[in-house]
Amino acid sequence: MIQFNALLKKELKEAFRDKRALMYALMMAFMAPVMIYAVSNSMIKDLTDTPAIYVNIQGGEAAPKLMALLEDEKILPLAEVTADEKRLWQERNIELILPESFAEDMREGRMVDVILRADYQDKSLFSPLRRIKEVIRSYSATIGSQRLLVRGIDVRLMQPVKLQEQDTAEPTSGPMLIILSLGMYLMMAAFVSGLSVAIDSSAGERERNVLEMLLCQPVDTMKIVLAKLSCASFIAVIGVILTLVLTYFAIGFVDLSKIGATFNLDFISVSALLLLLLPLCFFASALQLFFAFGAKSFKEAQSTVTMVVMLPAFVPFVLSFINNKPQWLDWAPISGQSMLIEDIFKGLPVNWSQVGFTTLVTVVLTVVLVKVMAEKLKSEKVVLALS
Amino acid sequence: MIEVNNLHKNFGQVKALDGLSFSARDGEITGILGPNGAGKTTCLRTLYGLLKADQGSAKIDDIDVSQQPLLARGRLGIFPDKFGLYERLTAYEQIDYFASIHGLQGQAKKQAIEEVIADLDMQDLAYRKTAGFSQGQRMKVTLAQALVHKPKNFVLDEPTRGLDVMSTRILRNYLARFKAKGHCILFSSHVMQEVAALCDRVIIVANGKLAAVGTPDELCTLADKTNLEEAFVKIIGSDEGIAA
Repeated sequence: MIQFNALLKKELKEAFRDKRALMYALMMAFMAPVMIYAVSNSMIKDLTDTPAIYVNIQGGEAAPKLMALLEDEKILPLAEVTADEKRLWQERNIELILPESFAEDMREGRMVDVILRADYQDKSLFSPLRRIKEVIRSYSATIGSQRLLVRGIDVRLMQPVKLQEQDTAEPTSGPMLIILSLGMYLMMAAFVSGLSVAIDSSAGERERNVLEMLLCQPVDTMKIVLAKLSCASFIAVIGVILTLVLTYFAIGFVDLSKIGATFNLDFISVSALLLLLLPLCFFASALQLFFAFGAKSFKEAQSTVTMVVMLPAFVPFVLSFINNKPQWLDWAPISGQSMLIEDIFKGLPVNWSQVGFTTLVTVVLTVVLVKVMAEKLKSEKVVLALS
Repeated sequence: MIEVNNLHKNFGQVKALDGLSFSARDGEITGILGPNGAGKTTCLRTLYGLLKADQGSAKIDDIDVSQQPLLARGRLGIFPDKFGLYERLTAYEQIDYFASIHGLQGQAKKQAIEEVIADLDMQDLAYRKTAGFSQGQRMKVTLAQALVHKPKNFVLDEPTRGLDVMSTRILRNYLARFKAKGHCILFSSHVMQEVAALCDRVIIVANGKLAAVGTPDELCTLADKTNLEEAFVKIIGSDEGIAA
């Protein structure tokens, strides 16, 4: 125990004195909330924004109520278009033609033909046309219901079936992206925060000729590996907790309800998140140490370990494309955590048995990595690579 | 007491050690000489338990290194071929680190560290971070961390490389003091005058084998030469390695 304490104390001292590495480690945590805030805000703006539509309206003076309704929905006559958008809307040339006899036909209760003419294949017109159609449809439905009402007929007769649409994909695609990126960000924090410490304490020490000195000492390689792992994981844990806390506050400043998303991080979901992420910190550091010890030089270690860091970004991305996920992805490290974190952010109840199983698999794999590393440090190959 | 018996070690086709045997006795400074590539570092690494011999054994105080490497290493103080320092730690912290690895703690540890710092005359260095230390200062820190636990046996692989006269003298006096206390010191060097002045016995290694052993005077007599350098060249059969 004296040995392990000394090893760990030394690793921590070195890690915390390397200010640049530490800054790099915690940069992720400080950047996360800023990014989440910026992305969420711009996404909400995109999704809730209804830009003005300019339509070439003919015969509008005969239907002031319809015109007022259109204006409420920011559908305006082409004459009012601003100078910088003038060409665009002239080219789009959406025409709304009301017959001259509009007012008279309405009075008489005759069906009025209103013509909406545009290039229906033009994708950029999908949204404007949909909005115009909705206004006209609701105008028509309102007048129709009023006509029935004054004749003493129940309006509901007109609607024998009412379709209730319920979207089970709780948050729509917009918030989904925020949630996916948040989960990915938390996992990235677990992988990035301990990165520089892991490389420095393995490949770095070998390059500085201090590893050989240590391997000549009467200390079990298992203790050496565990001390290095504990130190790198500790920094990773700090990174993850900091990211989680700061993101929690940042998300408070974003009104996700505007786009129909709910984001509730209560005590239970935070505990579940930590339970998922903490073993991942140890797994990430073990994986990084494993590759860094295996690399021939500090530079090689940097490039291989950087590929390991890509995993938490790569795995959820690939997962989002797989429709029928094989069972083992549920409990494999990174993919298991990724799916569970996504569920937590979606507000679904935490599947504790899956949390437990994924954690167990992650811990077992970490233990295997540690044992392999401890054995590898005893091997002649590693010693010969020292010189 | 360090004993090496019939060590064989091959790296692929290369025979690094070919039946090397020698012993370094307590209360003596034993010099190990050999041209570059003779197998000195391989032999010492086998002694630390970093490499496993294909055949033969290495024992420290009668403990077989291959069977109980940790126990054997506990009785060794090692000044390795290549040494680096933890540059973000102070000299004191480094010595403290190695003292703890050797199981020292509390007052005993503090006393041992202060003693070794005083012995090597490095009080003014102790609380400075080692980044930017000169070669002599680095040697002192490495020596202090190797010897803080007062091992019975020292192995020093070319410790005087790059040292100025003052630092070399400190090292020599230090080794002489430990020799007087009955410690076993195994010392490798390329500087013949130093070996001749310091060592009680000299082992000459060539091609992974023992080429000759004896006091510097005995070796000169054996080779019929007046100085150790000439004797060395004659014994190993070429002038290879002398310039290194």
